[in-house]
This record gives sequence, C-alpha cells and structure tokens, in this order.
Amino acid sequence: MISPRFPIFAITFAVAYAVIYVIAVEQNYALITYHPVSGQFELLTTPPKGGGRPAMYWYGWILTAGLGAFVIGLLAMLVPDHWVKRVWPAWAWIIPLAVFGVFAYLLRAYFMR
Amino acid sequence: MAFWTTLLIIHGLLGVTLLGAITHQTVAVWLPVRAAAGSFVTRFRAVSGQSYAVAVIVLYVLTAIMGAWIYTRYRIGPRLTLEQQGYWKTFGAFELKEHFVAIGLAVLPAYWYYWRKPLSQEHNAARAGLTTFLCFIVWYGFIVGHLTNNIRGYA
Repeated sequence: MISPRFPIFAITFAVAYAVIYVIAVEQNYALITYHPVSGQFELLTTPPKGGGRPAMYWYGWILTAGLGAFVIGLLAMLVPDHWVKRVWPAWAWIIPLAVFGVFAYLLRAYFMR
Repeated sequence: MAFWTTLLIIHGLLGVTLLGAITHQTVAVWLPVRAAAGSFVTRFRAVSGQSYAVAVIVLYVLTAIMGAWIYTRYRIGPRLTLEQQGYWKTFGAFELKEHFVAIGLAVLPAYWYYWRKPLSQEHNAARAGLTTFLCFIVWYGFIVGHLTNNIRGYA
C-alpha cells in the first residue's frame, strides 16, 4: 500500500535532487570523495593526494543530492492537502530538464574550443 | 584490462536493452495503437508501455551502477587521453552524460508512480513527459558513451 502522498514526495524529490545536485557540483559539496588510484573512500570533500592522482567527487555529489532531496521530499509530505493538489506532476521532469540546460551552459567552454 | 573490458561490454549490453525498452515505451506513449497490430511499425507502437516500467527502472539503475564502476577506470585512463590529446568536445559531452545520468536517477520514483496500475488518464501527460525525459538521457548516454569508447579509432 502506497501513501496517497507519495506523488508529492516523488515530484519534490525530483525537483530538489536536480537543484541540489547542480549546487553540489558547482560548490563541490560532496558527501564522499573517492581516490581511484588508491581505491580509497573518504568522508566529505578531500583534495587529490598529489602526484597527479585524481580525486572523484561525482559519487559524493549524487549522495549529497539524494540525501538532501529525500529529506525535503519527506518534509513535503507534511504539507496540507490543498497544497498537494496544486503541485503539477510535470515539475518532476521540467526542472531536471532546466538543470540540463544549466549544465550545458556551465560546460560550454568545452564545445567552443 | 580484460576485467574492465568485460565490465564495459556488460555495461553496453545493459545499455542496449535499456535503450530498446525505453524507446518502445516512448513510442507507445506518444503513438498508442488501439487497433490490431499489422506492420512492423504498428507492432512496435502497440506494446503495453506499462509492462516496461519496472524493467526500465531496474535496467537504468543497473546500467548506472555499472557505469559508475567503470567510471573509476575512465578517470585514471581514458579521460587523461582525452585531455592530453585535446578531445574537448568529447570530454565535455561525456561530462554532460555523467550529470544527465545522475539527474535521471531522481525522476525514477515519479516515473514508477505514474506508470503504476491502474493507469490514470489524467496523468497521461506526466507519463509522456517523464518517459520522454528518460528516453533522451538513455539515447544521449548511449551515443556519447559509444563515441567516447571509440575515440581512439577516430584519431
């Protein structure tokens, strides 16, 4: 049995995740950092180990966005019924699509070289 | 090396399966067929989109997990090649792919909900939008992943 408020959670989750994700990427808010050469995970954002060994933040950005959106989605389930009815399901893909546009803009330098 | 090649092939096979499922579903949601299926194109459109939803979610998550695993190898090998040899458009396209796929994960709960039985007519537009959105991500990821994998062949 699914809560009748699940749609509000799902829509809010999609919107919040997309927004938090782009902020996390831009500000480098990663909950974990992976060092692929040593195979080591570290909590939060840590710098590369030096010697040309990279650090990977992508997993951390996903975790940051997922956890943040999950909490916001749960909070959204508490809003009154008349607010729930006003939430448009299309936000669940329109806002993430808009965030795609933001990323295309942020990465435009690669396509102009 | 054989280990990563094997993972890459599995990732590719999962991607092809996902591509087929989401494309079928997208066509079915935009061009549903209500009469008996005749030609190949009509049969392609005539599938029950609903029956694909769980498979699409499972395949999307599995393909993303495999991709995330292979990404560790990409980061310390092929990515450096792209940078050193100045394949900046490919590099940028791949960067976009990783962000698109990550954001695609966020719409899966809504996608699952709006494809649940019984289908509600009032949510036809939400289903169409979410399915098309995921279809775009999958096609983009597949093409860019394939091109990046073959980049040395184009040099």
